[in-house]
Amino acid sequence: MEDRQVTVLLEQAEVQRRLGNHRSATELVQRALTVDPDHAQAHAALAFTLLGARRLPGAVIEMRTALGLDANDPYIHHVAAQVLAAERKLDDAWAHCLIALEGPVVAPGAYVLGARIRTLQGDRARAKELLLEALALEPAHTDALTRLARLSLDAGDREEAARLVALALESDPADREAHVVAGYIDLSSGDAAGAEQHARFVLGQSAMDEDGLALWTAIQARKSWLLGMWWRWNAWMSRGGERRRIARLIGMFVLARIAIIITDELGYDGASRALTLGWLGFCAYSWFAPELFRRMLARELGTVRLDPDF
Amino acid sequence: MTYQIADEPVETSLRAYVVRPSVPLLASMVAGAWLSWPWFAFNAIAMGSPTRRKEIALCIAAFVGTGLLGTLVIELARAGVLPAGAPLRLALLGIVTFKLAMTYYISMVQERTFHVYEYYGGPVRAAGRLLAAGYWLHGLVVGLSDDPLWVIIVAGGITGGVTGKL
Repeated sequence: MEDRQVTVLLEQAEVQRRLGNHRSATELVQRALTVDPDHAQAHAALAFTLLGARRLPGAVIEMRTALGLDANDPYIHHVAAQVLAAERKLDDAWAHCLIALEGPVVAPGAYVLGARIRTLQGDRARAKELLLEALALEPAHTDALTRLARLSLDAGDREEAARLVALALESDPADREAHVVAGYIDLSSGDAAGAEQHARFVLGQSAMDEDGLALWTAIQARKSWLLGMWWRWNAWMSRGGERRRIARLIGMFVLARIAIIITDELGYDGASRALTLGWLGFCAYSWFAPELFRRMLARELGTVRLDPDF
Repeated sequence: MTYQIADEPVETSLRAYVVRPSVPLLASMVAGAWLSWPWFAFNAIAMGSPTRRKEIALCIAAFVGTGLLGTLVIELARAGVLPAGAPLRLALLGIVTFKLAMTYYISMVQERTFHVYEYYGGPVRAAGRLLAAGYWLHGLVVGLSDDPLWVIIVAGGITGGVTGKL
């Protein structure tokens, strides 16, 4: 009875997770774990859900709990690989992915996950093999087609990339990543207007989408060198997570201060004053820049409603 | 009793006093570490942060680390190893960088819990008045002692006044 209840709750949670309702999904898995706190798959499902809600520390703890309860379940290893890949612990992620791939029934998603990890590790050849294996199981797998298109584009085969991404969009016309890749394909063939349409679609779904913003930046850079530089700067500043952003800001602060101290000590008072004023100007700019960037993006996207957290 | 997720904050009686982690971060710039780091520690407790021990330990480490680095620089300066001018100023810049890095790191750790706290509808207090009070009080706090180590520890940024005292 208890098992049946947990299974139903986990199935409902999975539906909510696929719909992007991470909060409902989390609550459902929490209810399942209230019924059975030692249910390994429920802990893994919770890790997966928390990962979707960008709650990585919680996802890591739940993933470890799931592995501690059952180290032989391929699904749990699949989730562990997802969480570790998000943590950028790629070697560990790959080790878990291999175990997941050795399971009795392997879903195409497991091959796609493996391909994602191998791509991040720089092994594109293996990534391509894994994607082809996923497509052998499910020829219209959107994610596999999109990733293969991306690999083809990176390898310079634009025609093959366009063919694959067309298949991906045929399979799922609303797929975000497929639109991003389609945008880059358009851009590489000089069709900025076509690329812009894809970028608008992606940013319309989520204005905080990093890939969408990167594509938008590339399009702006094509239109105007100066504006492109500004967009590139903003994209660079917001890339790579909180830790890297802070490290960049502190690095800039230290460099500016060293330059000020050295010019001051060498007697170049004018240069030192100019650097100090420049730094103060940058500090002031950094206060209103996010708002300026948000407004500019909102204006560029026209009808798109931005996330209040943006 | 619902299953408690490890990253969820626990209920406390001080929730009404929780502020955004960006507020103590701003306090480090407008008032100084004397207000910022204790405020981070209090915020962690008020929020019921599951990582509050880590956050409090980081605040203590920030004070202790600054004290140790400050003592080292002061002793080297007094022994003549660090001559006045660029070498001393660069050494003091190292301490400022350490303080800044610690403050941002504590803020980043607290931000993770705050994200979950806010997600579950936890109340958040505006703290403009307290920040303003901190700004007006920082001169008084820094002036409590003439010891350069005191200034190095409590100040937000190191002013030229410190080099003059060494």
